[in-house]
Amino acid sequence: MEWFNALLAGNRIFTPNTIGFYWEGLVTTTQLVFLSLLVGLVLALPLAILRGSKHKWIKLPIYAFTYVFRGTPLLIQLYIIYYGVVFFDGIQETFLWPMLREAFYPALIAFTLNTAAYTTEIFHGAIKSTARGEIEAARAYGMSPGLTMRRIILPSAFRRALPAYGNEVIFMLHASAIASVVTLMDLTGAARFVYARYYAPFEAFLFAAAVYLCLTFAILFFFRYLEKRLLAHLRPQSG
Amino acid sequence: MLDLHGYGPRLLEGAGVTIQLAVLSLILAIVLGLLTASAKMSRNWLLHKVATLYTTVIRGVPDLVLMMLLFFGGQMGLNVLTDMLYDRYGVDWYVNLNAFAAGVLTIGFIFGAYMGETFRGAFMAVDHGQIEAGKAYGMSPWLVFRRIRFPLMMRHALPGLSNNWMVLLKTTALVSVIGLTDMVRVAAEASRATHEPFTFLLPVAAIYLLIASVSEWLFARLQKRYNVGFGEH
Amino acid sequence: MADNPIPLEVRNIKKRFGDTEVLKGLSLQARKGDVITLIGASGSGKSTFLRCMNLLEQPDEGDLIVHGETVQFKQTRHGREPADWKQVVRMRAKLSMVFQSFNLWAHMTLLENVIEAPIHVLGKSKKEAIEHGHTLLERVGLTERADAYPAQMSGGQQQRGAIARALAMDPEVMLFDEPTSALDPELVGDVLKVMHGLADEGRTMVVVTHEMGFARDVSSQVIYLHQGLVEEAGPPQDVLVNPTSPRLKQFLAPKY
Repeated sequence: MEWFNALLAGNRIFTPNTIGFYWEGLVTTTQLVFLSLLVGLVLALPLAILRGSKHKWIKLPIYAFTYVFRGTPLLIQLYIIYYGVVFFDGIQETFLWPMLREAFYPALIAFTLNTAAYTTEIFHGAIKSTARGEIEAARAYGMSPGLTMRRIILPSAFRRALPAYGNEVIFMLHASAIASVVTLMDLTGAARFVYARYYAPFEAFLFAAAVYLCLTFAILFFFRYLEKRLLAHLRPQSG
Repeated sequence: MLDLHGYGPRLLEGAGVTIQLAVLSLILAIVLGLLTASAKMSRNWLLHKVATLYTTVIRGVPDLVLMMLLFFGGQMGLNVLTDMLYDRYGVDWYVNLNAFAAGVLTIGFIFGAYMGETFRGAFMAVDHGQIEAGKAYGMSPWLVFRRIRFPLMMRHALPGLSNNWMVLLKTTALVSVIGLTDMVRVAAEASRATHEPFTFLLPVAAIYLLIASVSEWLFARLQKRYNVGFGEH
Repeated sequence: MADNPIPLEVRNIKKRFGDTEVLKGLSLQARKGDVITLIGASGSGKSTFLRCMNLLEQPDEGDLIVHGETVQFKQTRHGREPADWKQVVRMRAKLSMVFQSFNLWAHMTLLENVIEAPIHVLGKSKKEAIEHGHTLLERVGLTERADAYPAQMSGGQQQRGAIARALAMDPEVMLFDEPTSALDPELVGDVLKVMHGLADEGRTMVVVTHEMGFARDVSSQVIYLHQGLVEEAGPPQDVLVNPTSPRLKQFLAPKY
């Protein structure tokens, strides 16, 4: 800790105390983004498959869901859930209420639904662009539609969706900054707190910006690595 | 009928602010984007580096953080400047950063980076032979740009441009956080005051959807116009 | 000479791409009415030579004189460049090029392609340009295709349209860069016929081509290039019928 204190000595803003704030903010941001992406992904999978259904009553509601959530600002979605959750009858009596009263869970719900909508469309697009020939080949070998989806369409669609999904992950990380608007102490919330306390906008926000930039690059490199591993079969063979 | 508790006119005004903000930011973003794309394709080493730094950093940081940095930081920078003017020259001049102008500048600055990438890709996609044909017929560089490079580039840029516009439109909601009274801010205020969030937030969401749908239709028409001469796409 | 300057003269052009010298000192003089054909294997530098004539490539050394006016060059960090781009623009307007891949502007109709440069470069009135444009389209046999877009036309039609576009500039010299190489064999004839007609009416032309029949029938001079140098040059009956250089003999052998 010697070196840490020495590093921080001589500036009035980045005290161990504020660094602690940023750290907690980073943890909150990471939890929020990771959980919403995870649940959003789980929701998006079946939705993407059903989105391609022939039945109007299955595909239209899903389309309406993605259209609305992709066509309106996330901030509005967050406000609606944050301010609106009180109005579900009887919710205050359930065990959920202590959680929902905090800002974290409304934010988590809004982010999850939002990313589910985007991810559904990404996967739907990837599924739709599966080469017809590959599907016909599967049918020709007697695979059932379900088996074709599971063994042929989805594995190749996942790989094709990877670059777009990588962008969605970065988009979610950046969008999560909005959580600070409903008093959540995420990374941006911490920066706002430090700004308000020391009236030092450059230091407060540039520090947060630098952390976000590092996270963005980390995600970028992770997806590059994944693409390299999983999309190797699409590249022309060299050597 | 929807009872807006007297917030109707303010909500409408807020919608006007949102639309003006979005359109002006778009224009600024397009100008910055064209400049950035040119800088990135330029032979000048410094210009290239500066443009790359700009697009990389802007696209790596949340809009909201950039907005607060530029808005709060910009105000502070102005204060330092005016204080200095007072101390040194006795000029008593105080500027309060106009929230609307700050919003346009910030959003334009952020989306200039995204537009820069869109335009660069589109310029690269233009068939070089058609540019050469322009040069070979004695067209000046500006004439080649205006009559050939730009219209051909637009065809490739429109899908990206349309996408950027949709994201930009939604990003305008964030200015409510730095104190600009757009429709989101009015709706949030009204929700808190009346405890009827749905009454205000749902119509605002509907207006965003409406603007998005109208823009989608407009872009489809534009795309058709720029696709002229490229067969049935 | 001052009253009747030579339309195009190039002297001792040298050009290198990286470490390879592709043009090792080439000269050419196109007098009024000359049809000069440049032949040679691919990689001989003939297209690069042609592209140096209107400065689509910048020659590293050598002079370029268009209609008596010498193009000025200066040295920059990026190599040798024209000193005055306005002069280049003026000079290019006197030389119009027909490309191997046509390069008709995809977002304009055929007629719009033809009138574009006359209006915006030469400053002609729109009415005049359109009238002239229709005459030229008739001449290349494309009257009905005036409002078609390039993508809707066959390669042969596009190339004839491109020739009309070049003619619309009323150029001192027409430069042809392998105008038939990208065409299906059955479409080559129409384009050659148009070029034949241009030669007959006394147009000054410099043509890079693989069409030996055209070179033999139409040229006033044939230049055979090999690795950036003139290997043999002269009237077609000498160069093509009685070649002296063994390389040229070999080059011509499989076709005759």
